[in-house]
Amino acid sequence: MLEMHSVSKVYRTDTVETHALRDFSLQVEEGEFVAVTGPSGSGKTTFLNIAGLLEELSDGAYHLDGEEIGSLGDDARSRIRNEKIGFIFQSFNLIPDLDVFDNVDVPLRYRGFNAAERSRRIDESLERVGLTSRRRHLPSQLSGGQQQRVAIARALAGAPRFLLADEPTGNLDSEMAEAVLGLLNEINAAGTTIVMVTHDPDLARRVPRNVHVLDGRLQAPAQPEAPPIGAPNGLGAAAMSL
Amino acid sequence: MEFGPIWRAARRNKTGPVLIAVQIALTLAVVVNAVFIIQQRIEKITRDNGMDVDNILSVNSAVIGQDFKAELGVREDLRALRTIPGVIAVSASQHVPLSGSGWGTEFAASPESGAPRVNGVQYMMTTDAIQTLGVELVAGREFAEEDMVYAENFSDPQPSLIITQAYADELFPDGDALGQPLYDGLGRPSTIIGIVRRMHGAWVGWDKLSHVALLPRVMPSNSTHYLIRTEPGLVNQTLAQVEAALFGVNDQRVLQELRPMTETKDRSYQGDRGMAVLLGVVTLLMVSVTGVGIIGLASFAVRQRFKQIGTRRAVGARRRDILRYFLLENWMITTAGVVLGTLAALGINYWLMTAYDLERLDPLLLPVGILVIWALGLLAVAGPARRAAGISPAIATRTI
Ligand SMILES: Nc1ncnc2c1ncn2[C@@H]1O[C@H](COP(=O)(O)OP(=O)(O)O)[C@@H](O)[C@H]1O
Ligand SMILES: [Mg+2]
Repeated sequence: MLEMHSVSKVYRTDTVETHALRDFSLQVEEGEFVAVTGPSGSGKTTFLNIAGLLEELSDGAYHLDGEEIGSLGDDARSRIRNEKIGFIFQSFNLIPDLDVFDNVDVPLRYRGFNAAERSRRIDESLERVGLTSRRRHLPSQLSGGQQQRVAIARALAGAPRFLLADEPTGNLDSEMAEAVLGLLNEINAAGTTIVMVTHDPDLARRVPRNVHVLDGRLQAPAQPEAPPIGAPNGLGAAAMSL
Repeated sequence: MEFGPIWRAARRNKTGPVLIAVQIALTLAVVVNAVFIIQQRIEKITRDNGMDVDNILSVNSAVIGQDFKAELGVREDLRALRTIPGVIAVSASQHVPLSGSGWGTEFAASPESGAPRVNGVQYMMTTDAIQTLGVELVAGREFAEEDMVYAENFSDPQPSLIITQAYADELFPDGDALGQPLYDGLGRPSTIIGIVRRMHGAWVGWDKLSHVALLPRVMPSNSTHYLIRTEPGLVNQTLAQVEAALFGVNDQRVLQELRPMTETKDRSYQGDRGMAVLLGVVTLLMVSVTGVGIIGLASFAVRQRFKQIGTRRAVGARRRDILRYFLLENWMITTAGVVLGTLAALGINYWLMTAYDLERLDPLLLPVGILVIWALGLLAVAGPARRAAGISPAIATRTI
């Protein structure tokens, strides 16, 4: 599904050169739920950005869903982000002037679906995150947890194979964080591959597979063996209590 | 197209867009009317005055001394002026056409006291008047030596004259002016011996500017103007020789206002030109300020939506989708302004029509103005929109 081989990423400014990723190799199989942990500044977001085609890598090879990414142009990368990848951000990244419905609609419009198809998908994914009744609310009228669920609905509406989350619970209190994690588990159980970046080891422990990044390098697995793929872990119900 | 979401988002954040739309409306309304007025002024300045203005120069001569005989003096002066190389024709004249000074007159087509009198201006000139002015005789004949009246008194009768077609049409609507007598204020007749196609008189702002009568007459005065027509392009060269020629005849005189007729004309139209320039500057300023305003609003929007744009890119927008978003948003604001501005432009024009007697707006100006405003909007937003399209999708995770 996701295959990185000896990927490196160097940020260059006039004065400094930052090696954010070095010789980074990782393989994620279809249906996995992986937590990427590591201290602040270790390169987690950089990894996620490269995995999500938000940034280009400096060296190495990256295949997503069998496709070599390095040679793709900007439009092709946009299309893959749009069709195959769902993003969840730490600060939700909802568009403040658009209501819940229009926010979830954003990637669907870039997909080129007609109005009926978009509407059906929006309703379906809002239902999935339990926010059908808030469809005409603005982000500012929602709690942080609700906003993150709108963002998850936006990520899900395009039915991506692959969900990328950067500190999805970083801006939430523990109860809301719990619910969001539960929702992610449900989504994973339904077959979507998830890679979640977090600096919170407690959260990571509840995810089937963990990888640890330190100073831009992948560390040996912290846990010897991951639980079976897509295993239910009893957190799904929490989502509905937000 | 994303009309729906853009419209809904704009409604939640309307101060900037509304201000710019209003500014665009005002600009369109003012500029369309200003350009219309400029157009009219230019038409006024460049309209056909019937004369060969470019190749005529004029001078005023005032002879000092009691024993001056106008007839003899004028004849000698004309003869001297004619000898200047490049001169085609010369004529004496009380006043210079288009100069703002002239001899207002009233003629009637009938001697009866109740007959309608038609205002105009008369120029008292010598035999070569038609040639000198470069006007086109469309009926009758030019002045002959026998027509000349060297008046002893200001009130001596005037047997013949030439008038313009416009004047003739006004006095004789049936078109049979030639050979008819015209009656002056004292009821004395002058026969129309010729008609010229067109000639402008003294006051360029007067609606009777085309009512001109040319009289073959020299007044008993020490002072007269001379009009000198040269071969094309020789006005300035001739100008330099006029003083010597006239002083050669008689140096007991004062020469003034020696100048090309183009200069005389320019002075008369100075107000119109000034108005056109002023309105042109206003137009330019308003268009620039509006352009800068659109750039400002769009730049601000791009800066404000930095993260939003990164997020849109992250969830699948191509660069051109971002570009299109900003162009479309700007077009919607501009179009709102254009709709408002069209109404305002027609309103201002209606007000100018009723209050200042302006004509109805040229029907082509408004659509052209709308196209220009659209183009201006597009041009102004192009830079910010391209900057927006260049924002990296990585912004989505890199900003808080
Ligand atoms: N755009 C950038 N330019 C320069 N350095 C960057 C940039 N983005 C990240 N970095 C650097 O790369 C390193 C890894 O950053 P990041 O991936 O954001 O870490 P994490 O998400 O684990 O906190 C850090 O040292 C950071 O300062
Ligand atoms: Mg990070």
